[in-house]
Amino acid sequence: MIDTNFYSILTYNGGAIIAMKGKNCVAIAADRRFGIQAQTISSNFQKIHRMGPHLYLGLPGLATDSLTVLERLKFRLNLYELKENRNMNPKTFASMISNLLYEKRFGPYFVEPIVAGLDPETFEPFICNMDLIGCLNLPNDFVVGGTCSEQLYGMCEALFEPNLEADDLFETISQALVNACDRDAISGWGAIVHIIEKDNITTRTVKTRMD
Amino acid sequence: MALVDREPSRYLPDYDVQAPKQLHFSPYADNGGSVVAIAGDDFSIIAADTRLSAGFSIYTRKQEKLFTLSSNTVLGCSGCWCDTLTLTRVMAARMQMYEHEHHKTMATPAAAQMLSTMLYYKRFFPYYVSNILAGLDSEGKGVIYRYDPVGHCEKNYYVAGGSSGALLQPLLDNQVGYLNQENVEKVPITKEKALAIIKDVFTSAAERDIYTGDGIFIKIITKDGIATDFFELRRD
Amino acid sequence: MSMPNKADCFSSLPFWQNGPAPGAFYNFPGTAASSSNYNDCGIQRTQTPMVTGSSVIGIQYKDGIIIAADVLASYGSLARFRNCERVMKVNDNIILGAGGDYADYQYLRSLIEQKIIDEKCLDDGFTLKPKSLHCWLTRVMYNKRSNFNPLWNNFIIGGIEDGKPFLGTVDKLGTAFSDPVIATGYGAYLATPILTKAYDANSQMTEEEATNLIYKVMQVLFYRDARSFPKYHLGVISKEKGVEIRGPIEIEHNWEVSTMGRNQLR
Repeated sequence: MIDTNFYSILTYNGGAIIAMKGKNCVAIAADRRFGIQAQTISSNFQKIHRMGPHLYLGLPGLATDSLTVLERLKFRLNLYELKENRNMNPKTFASMISNLLYEKRFGPYFVEPIVAGLDPETFEPFICNMDLIGCLNLPNDFVVGGTCSEQLYGMCEALFEPNLEADDLFETISQALVNACDRDAISGWGAIVHIIEKDNITTRTVKTRMD
Repeated sequence: MALVDREPSRYLPDYDVQAPKQLHFSPYADNGGSVVAIAGDDFSIIAADTRLSAGFSIYTRKQEKLFTLSSNTVLGCSGCWCDTLTLTRVMAARMQMYEHEHHKTMATPAAAQMLSTMLYYKRFFPYYVSNILAGLDSEGKGVIYRYDPVGHCEKNYYVAGGSSGALLQPLLDNQVGYLNQENVEKVPITKEKALAIIKDVFTSAAERDIYTGDGIFIKIITKDGIATDFFELRRD
Repeated sequence: MSMPNKADCFSSLPFWQNGPAPGAFYNFPGTAASSSNYNDCGIQRTQTPMVTGSSVIGIQYKDGIIIAADVLASYGSLARFRNCERVMKVNDNIILGAGGDYADYQYLRSLIEQKIIDEKCLDDGFTLKPKSLHCWLTRVMYNKRSNFNPLWNNFIIGGIEDGKPFLGTVDKLGTAFSDPVIATGYGAYLATPILTKAYDANSQMTEEEATNLIYKVMQVLFYRDARSFPKYHLGVISKEKGVEIRGPIEIEHNWEVSTMGRNQLR
């Protein structure tokens, strides 16, 4: 009976994001709701952002902080790319976010970022997430975040298997996300899934319950 | 527990003292535990893990949390263990009183209603227990009832409750209720499949929930009686 | 059940209270029937423990149960009373160990002793069994916690029932369970791992093996639990030999290893 939905600024807007590793591919998916507590404002809110050819970033948490963090990350990423004249490695990007968040250790941004991507050189799959002060977690299977992370953990722990092909990975991540969102009052209202492969990125929107 | 920080019946404003109130005592504890139940056409299965814990310490690894109320009704409890003990004992006593008064065992729907009433009776000092009642209805079909701590009762066919409730309920929606699955034949679940799903979901829950683990007791309720099974889970 | 109101304070008390109701034998302390006295009108403060005992440990062996507790009753960090027995014989087939508030334990002990006398008076040849006492104690503790006036204790009950050893525990909320290895307080962290390991390796220990194990565990507790004492009592119960309270047993201790503090002081 752990109640993670106690009033917290992290649950003010709601939302769920998930990323999974497959065979030579990664997937990242999110719901599309933007709300203020129980009131739904929009159902086409973007929580996943493309940061490079093979680099995607999910920002669940307080929406206003998500936008600020996104802009500051874009700024640092652009500087890096201008200076280095190459695409950033997802690992490096994750460390950069971690750094940015820890700078605000005692007055944090209320976001728990999720990174999914492929290494620009080796095309090795990469996923990670972190807490709101930048503690990195780099597992081999999946990462979850947002207000229904418990539900997502339950779904992923049962549905996930290693080395899935892109099509199967899409099915798995969609089922995990949609069913988890259906048991959370402040997540859902549509979903979006990105499958990132070496020379193909597939973006699909998923129909869900709208209640 | 903000809900009850003072016993209401003993609150006498006239005798209140202007001293800082210390509160060292909480009458509730969270002893964890998860219960899952699935009902089919002619059976219902209920399972609960066997870990009894508080905070980061494990009290015991083999505590049964399923209470057989009659030959076709089983109650699964998780939450505050001292409330569970009390609730189930009163429940058992009232089952017996009914039997003596009416010369028949209480049917599952009647037991379900009684449990709701008993929980609501303590609305302002609740039993901090999440209950799941499994059994067979008057036609011999499997039924599950789930409750909140103050007596809200809902009839279901698959339920997950307790510390892993949030992890497992969406999984059951998907795998037992076929929710969000397209082009599937929604066949009624068989006993064998239900049993396999229950073992699978508990294995998943034990991976991520520290209050669930060690093992599960399973009760399979059919018209022929109640069969018992045990299944090991990770113990860390 | 009626609520106590102000008028009740000044009306006369019934001639006879606390006796069993007609046709009833038992009387749980702390219920409405037994607590109707003048105190009901004042505010009953939530209790905090004052003079406390530390860990109690219990283990099942081949023929029975051993319970151990040291003899210290602390007043906060002060080692106030250094000769308090915390293991008692209830009757010929039950032993009881207590941790937590010592006064609450003494109160409960007197209740249990009275209960045993009452039962002797019935002279029906029946005696209290460990599971019954465990259950009764759970009800007492639960009723007290429900009145926001808990008995601040951890109890361990050991005994022989139907020829089989029984070991159970109850805490201040009425949380109760039984297990072949139980330790309360700091013992839950320090003693349980040692006891469980030994029990899993050999659940059919002899009495001697079990007492030696308990000695080792009490020694560990003495070294690491600051509210402990190098003297303890053992409650041993077995089918053949019945109940025996042994002690006080002295723990040998040696602080030569603690060079750090000494060097700093010099």
